[in-house]
Amino acid sequence: MENKTILELKNVRKVFGQIVALDSVSFALKRGEIHGLLGGNGAGKTTLMNILYGLYRKDEGEILLRDQAVSIEGPRDAINQGIGMVHQHFLQISNFTVLENIILGTDVKNKYTMKLEDEVVKVKELCQRFGLNVDLNNVMSTLPVGARQKVEILKALYRGVDILILDEPTTNLTPQEVDALFESLRVMVNEGLSIVFITHKLREVLSVCDRITVLREGKNITTLDRKDASEEVFVRAMVGEKMDIENSIYFATEERQIFDRTSVEAPKLKLENVNLISQDGVQRLKDLNLEVFGGEIVGIAGVAGNGQRELAEVVTGVVPVSSGKKIYMGDDVTSKTNEDLLSSGFSYIPEDRLSDGFLPKATVAQNLILGQHRIKPYSDGRFINWKTVYAETTKNIKEYNIKTNGPGDVGGNLSGGNIQRVLIARAFSMDSQVMVAHNPTRGLDIPSMDFVYQKMLARREAQMATLLISEDLDELMRISDRIAVIYRGEILGVLERSEFDKYAIGRLMSGISPENQPSKEKTLP
Amino acid sequence: MTIVKKSLPYLLAVVASFVAAGIFIALMGFDVFKAYQTILFTSFRTPNGFIQTLLKFVPLLLLALAFTIPLTAGKFNIGGEGQMMAGGIGAAAMGIMFADLPAIILLPLVILGGVVAGALWGLVPAWLLYKFNINEILTTVLFNFIALFLIDYVCTGPWRDPAAGHPTTVLIGRGGWLPMLVNNPPLHSGIILAVLVAIGVYIYTSRTTGGYELIATGANPRAAGVFGIKTRRMFVLSLVLGGAVAGLAGAFEVAGNQHRLIEGMQSNFLQLGMIIGLISRGNNGAVPFVAFLIAVLEVGASAMQRTMMIPVEVVFIVEALILLFVLLSDVVRRK
Repeated sequence: MENKTILELKNVRKVFGQIVALDSVSFALKRGEIHGLLGGNGAGKTTLMNILYGLYRKDEGEILLRDQAVSIEGPRDAINQGIGMVHQHFLQISNFTVLENIILGTDVKNKYTMKLEDEVVKVKELCQRFGLNVDLNNVMSTLPVGARQKVEILKALYRGVDILILDEPTTNLTPQEVDALFESLRVMVNEGLSIVFITHKLREVLSVCDRITVLREGKNITTLDRKDASEEVFVRAMVGEKMDIENSIYFATEERQIFDRTSVEAPKLKLENVNLISQDGVQRLKDLNLEVFGGEIVGIAGVAGNGQRELAEVVTGVVPVSSGKKIYMGDDVTSKTNEDLLSSGFSYIPEDRLSDGFLPKATVAQNLILGQHRIKPYSDGRFINWKTVYAETTKNIKEYNIKTNGPGDVGGNLSGGNIQRVLIARAFSMDSQVMVAHNPTRGLDIPSMDFVYQKMLARREAQMATLLISEDLDELMRISDRIAVIYRGEILGVLERSEFDKYAIGRLMSGISPENQPSKEKTLP
Repeated sequence: MTIVKKSLPYLLAVVASFVAAGIFIALMGFDVFKAYQTILFTSFRTPNGFIQTLLKFVPLLLLALAFTIPLTAGKFNIGGEGQMMAGGIGAAAMGIMFADLPAIILLPLVILGGVVAGALWGLVPAWLLYKFNINEILTTVLFNFIALFLIDYVCTGPWRDPAAGHPTTVLIGRGGWLPMLVNNPPLHSGIILAVLVAIGVYIYTSRTTGGYELIATGANPRAAGVFGIKTRRMFVLSLVLGGAVAGLAGAFEVAGNQHRLIEGMQSNFLQLGMIIGLISRGNNGAVPFVAFLIAVLEVGASAMQRTMMIPVEVVFIVEALILLFVLLSDVVRRK
């Protein structure tokens, strides 16, 4: 029958240094099902699947494939056994065509002439069967993320896998693309494939998966049939008993009061016709207009790489604008540098925490004052008041739940999530008038995410302005008062909270705005 | 408790390197214990030995700081030697040109001449880095050679002392000589200034905002830049400061020890300074202590060569082994 178990992982254990990433985890996959692997960051989902795909070695446990114990030494073994994986970050050669990417590394019949008729026929057949429509002759770099993901799935299918692992596949997809992906997945399982769907997004697993396994802190919590359980059960399994779900923002269902802009006279931050042209002459931001009022959270939605980073850096003064005006509390601050802005009420959580926001060789205390090291209470301008700094750091370590040996601990000893907490503590601990937060909750578990949201709402209460740039549309819709959608450096539309609609935002994210719908046709080749 | 715990790996590294080098000395057919006795205790047995050690300590300390100050900002200054020679030239030039001035003017002028010349020698590579992004390791090394030939020119040029067999300049004015702390054996007062500089550097890097910006720049220049620190200026500042400190060492050689400029005054202070800086792992506070240890070893080494005919190079081996074991202890601790 259909529901025969095809793959089983038994009591798998994996230890990294002193951290137990997986503690006796078991997992069973049936033929023809979509099996969701759900859990917060650091729950061990990806580690488990990387073991199955041969990227990591397990310390203990066994893998049973079609009732036979197998040893998987590397991805090649995995593929030979019929297991394919689509990683969160695609492994593609961007100046090759779609077809070349798909067949790369496989045995091609006409190796020397590169006549690929047979392969084209085979790939086209796969495209048709599973509803994955991509033009095989397109060059990879010209494709949107959704299409690149289809290529990644085709790569696995072309290699004849019957078990497909998808690691956070919906990151960077517009809602429309997510729907299309889910449809394709359904076709695949109907054809007899089995799919493991790794995600931290509860709504997604509920809408597409047949069975769901929840991991938390490296342990199996439960495996349940989609039909047998309510959302509430999964929420509990995911976050544990400690979190107060009733008062959380992450799981909030009731509508909150809409921001009343009429009560505020002028925006805290205003961008007027801001343009940014990069050194190599590419227009990164185009005629950008944006207002952020005190007491408001403005979200920026968009597929990654559409100018979000540039926008953050322009607002915080890291890079100067090419033209246009920046106004902060009524003053023109266009020519002010980040040094001035950080001292006069700006705070910034950069997207790339390791490269842009953290000093791995410095202590936690030194990290916490970065950017505020010239102003009170940390400094009188000449000397740093380490006593205050250490006291504040100790306080922040506790409040922001940073796991470290103390303020004097070297930053490099911290894990990714804790580094993110340091960045959050740094930005929130000063009462900045304008905060720019770029993917602030990336790498955090759900209680920590919720904590960040609480802090943002507290800023909102205190009439401070927050610009939240995020790739997580659910996050933006949960917390923003308005959402502006950025596409190729341009703001295509701004939606009020009452107008929030996943699909409307998704259309804007893929460049379709009500006014320039025809121009979209023109850009197609 | 934590201090003991923290320094334990280093003590182990020192002991291990002595043991390893001891095997080496024994293989060469010498008495290991006697050799080590000479190396370790020469500095403390006689007043002369102690003063010799202090005299070695001053340039070692300053050259090590010339290496660690830029290292704090993540830059490698391999030009301490050239900066020291430039400092010597600057100091000698002041001392010879204004030889007749009274001490109260001439002495500061000589010291300042050395500091400014050293700073300039650090400024050029720093400017090349700032303006054209030219790697500072390359330029600082190359500037050593320029200084080497410049000192040759100065010592054989118009200021040459015709009576000397070795290329040297004439004596600088009496007013430019550093006052003596002890007359016999001679110990000049530069050591006080050197220790003050070391304390100043320590306070600057650990307590001030400027020092914090140096550390942040060294820890991650990109993040420091994103958060408003002008990292390229920090690079320049650190290299110029390093050059100034090395220049001071050159000025002391001229004003304190020789009272003239001598070719070859740079000795091997650059290499030893870098070893000290690396053993201290760039920690400006640890540099004076490590520098003193190396000075003891150096003085002991010369004595060992005199009395036991063991080549001084053995001590180089010990020093290199200490460095190696300290670096190894880092790796071990990480496991």
